[in-house]
Amino acid sequence: MYLYTTILFVIMVASFVICSRKLKSPEISMAITGVVGALVAYFMYLGGEYQIDFPVRILVEGLFTNFDLAISFVCASVFVNLYSYSGAMTAVTRKLVGTFDNKWILLTFMAAFMLVPGALTGAGSISVFVLGGLVATVVRYMGLSDRKTTAFVFIFAILSAACPPINLWTMMMTAQCNMPYVGFTKLLALPIAIVGIFTIIYLGWGSKREPKEKILAELPEAPEKMNMLRILLPLVVVIGLILLTLYAPFDVPVIGLPLTFIIGSFIVVLCNPVKRTFKEYFKVVNDTMEQVFPLVATVLSVGVLQSSMTQIGVKGLIGVTFITLPLVMLYVTVLLFGPFAQGCLSYGSAIIIGAPLVFMFNTRGMDTTVVCAALSLMFPIGDCLPPSRITGRLTCETVGYQGSYMSFLKQIAIPCALLGALALVMFITPGTFTFLK
Amino acid sequence: MLVFWGDLVHYLYFVIAGIIAFFLVKNLFKREKRNGLVYDIVYAYCIIPFVLRILFIK
Repeated sequence: MYLYTTILFVIMVASFVICSRKLKSPEISMAITGVVGALVAYFMYLGGEYQIDFPVRILVEGLFTNFDLAISFVCASVFVNLYSYSGAMTAVTRKLVGTFDNKWILLTFMAAFMLVPGALTGAGSISVFVLGGLVATVVRYMGLSDRKTTAFVFIFAILSAACPPINLWTMMMTAQCNMPYVGFTKLLALPIAIVGIFTIIYLGWGSKREPKEKILAELPEAPEKMNMLRILLPLVVVIGLILLTLYAPFDVPVIGLPLTFIIGSFIVVLCNPVKRTFKEYFKVVNDTMEQVFPLVATVLSVGVLQSSMTQIGVKGLIGVTFITLPLVMLYVTVLLFGPFAQGCLSYGSAIIIGAPLVFMFNTRGMDTTVVCAALSLMFPIGDCLPPSRITGRLTCETVGYQGSYMSFLKQIAIPCALLGALALVMFITPGTFTFLK
Repeated sequence: MLVFWGDLVHYLYFVIAGIIAFFLVKNLFKREKRNGLVYDIVYAYCIIPFVLRILFIK
């Protein structure tokens, strides 16, 4: 059985490499890999004691694995894009630039801004989509080079993905391990704050800011009637609904994140000072769908891959191999395998590597909440690694970075190393961090 | 009362799935970015779960 599963694993890896090279789409490569693995296993086991379903069923069932996640992505992106379209983001940025004449304060605000969309949606690419361009403009005026600006946007994008309340890696691992998604807020927020502060200082050091007037002249104009009530009300409603379901679960119906964002979107439309037509909003939603589609396709394709790997035993093979590794080897390799798995499997890394590790640490009596948090801080680093490199690729495109991808990787290496080091310390000594739960 | 609201939310999710399916089908035939055949296939299989959901099949 081990031999057969290993052969299947090798076939799947080969299939993924070939598809990624030929088709240039990580989404379809993952789906094809899943189907190829299942198809080979179907014929391999045909007539034997152990039989698996025909791949069509695996494909369809796999598409439903992360279906709810895909809906959350779409709804959150619609909310964030409508909010940005109303001019609220521009208004806040103009106010900040006009009010604060200090480079460090502005960089801090831009960093905090970048964290919000990703923290609410769980996807760093949403932060890049929505605020990447705007933040890059302001950060450039602070005197940062193009390379440093791209690194700034990328680092805060991956930090936003790991930032609570929505951390998808943690959510997937906890769902897989039958753990409650509770106690992660401080565990995730503290390392993110440390890396964030370090990144601001590291990238902002030695740069010279442009005059305030020049920045304001180049930023887009905010709508005239945009006031604090219109800016804050949609956010207050969304955050309020999330908190209500958390703190009064027996008094309110289970709304769920997607519907919360849809309600927030209606509030955004009501609060928009410029009255827009239905056609204009339709275009925004349509553009959002196109924008967010690679992410939706990725999570759905990862589902197919997961379903196939589960059915044919490859997931178990990887899990067992990890569990049987000596602990020291695990500590040495996790910082390499974690991010690379993220680069290959996107959010599937949490299921394929994360969940078996959490089970393993649970059997050793270690604090699984801290381990889970540590792993979900390691995975985002892989967002810049091939083959998928969604956030890295997107950041370079949004910021308009003309340099080589390697030079971008060099620029982000130190903040990423710090994030990895903090996560590794949490991973090795989970007991030390239980006070943050 | 909570049961009523719960049912309403349940059906609203079918409506959301339907709206997303509509946009995916629209973008399958007419879109500005990622126009190749590869993404035609990706769009096609990504529509499947949304259509199955609105048909109450899964």
